[in-house]
Amino acid sequence: MDRIPLERLDATGLQARYDDWIVFIERSHHGSNPRINGGDAFTRVTKPLSASRVALVTTAGAHLADQTPFHVATVAGDSTHRVLPDDLDPSDLRFTHTHYDTSSAEQDPNCVFPIDRLHELVESGRLGSASPVHIGMMGFNPDPSPIQDDLAPRVAGILADAEVDVAIMVPG
Amino acid sequence: MPTVTISMRPDVTFGVRVPRAAYARFPHGNPFGEPHRPEQHHLVFEALLQLLEEADEPTFVELPFRWRRWKQWL
Repeated sequence: MDRIPLERLDATGLQARYDDWIVFIERSHHGSNPRINGGDAFTRVTKPLSASRVALVTTAGAHLADQTPFHVATVAGDSTHRVLPDDLDPSDLRFTHTHYDTSSAEQDPNCVFPIDRLHELVESGRLGSASPVHIGMMGFNPDPSPIQDDLAPRVAGILADAEVDVAIMVPG
Repeated sequence: MPTVTISMRPDVTFGVRVPRAAYARFPHGNPFGEPHRPEQHHLVFEALLQLLEEADEPTFVELPFRWRRWKQWL
C-alpha cells in the first residue's frame, strides 16, 4: 500500500476545550476524579512490524455473547475487561455501550474491533502475528482512578504474558 | 509496550496525553470507517502502522480521510 500522508494535528485550542470538558464532567458526573497523565510514557518500536505480535484493545464495549455484558446502567462506569481470543467467531461479538451508536459495530465488528483486518495484515506479511488474546473494555468511566490504578496494569500484564509487541487502541 | 490509538475526540486525547494518536473525523462507533468496507479499514490501519514506524516522540496526527455519508449520532 502507498504511504498515507499524515500531518500533525493543529492543536490550537484543544487544551482549552479539554479544560472546559473536565469542568463539565466534574459538574455532571458524581464521583468524577480527573487525572492528567505526565505525557512521558513513550515506548519506541524496536523491531519491524513484520516481525511483531499485535494485539487489539478496544473500549467499544466488545465482549462475547457468553461473557458478562458490561455494566452500563450506572453512572459509575465499569472498569472490568473481557479477554477476546484471537480465534473468536466475529458473529459471537456483542457491543454493550450506551455512549455511542453501536449499530455499525453490530453490522461489522471490524468498525471498532478490526480482527479480520488484523488477520489479513498477518496473511500479507505486513504484521508478524496476531496476539492469541485481545482486550475488550467499556469506555464510559467518569472516574479514571480504577482505570489507571487497576485496569491498565491488569491489561498490560495480560498482553505482556502473551508476549505482545504492539497494541492497537480503538475507541467506540 | 508501544501503542497507537485512534482518537474520536481530539480535545480529550490531547488533554490526557497519549504516545501516538490519529484523529479520525468519523462518527462515533466508526473509528475504522463504515461497515463492510475493508479497503477503508485497511487505509486507517495502515496509517496507524505508519505512525508506529515513524514517530520518535509523542505524536498526534490527523487522518486524511473524510466521512461522506455523515449520519447523526443518536
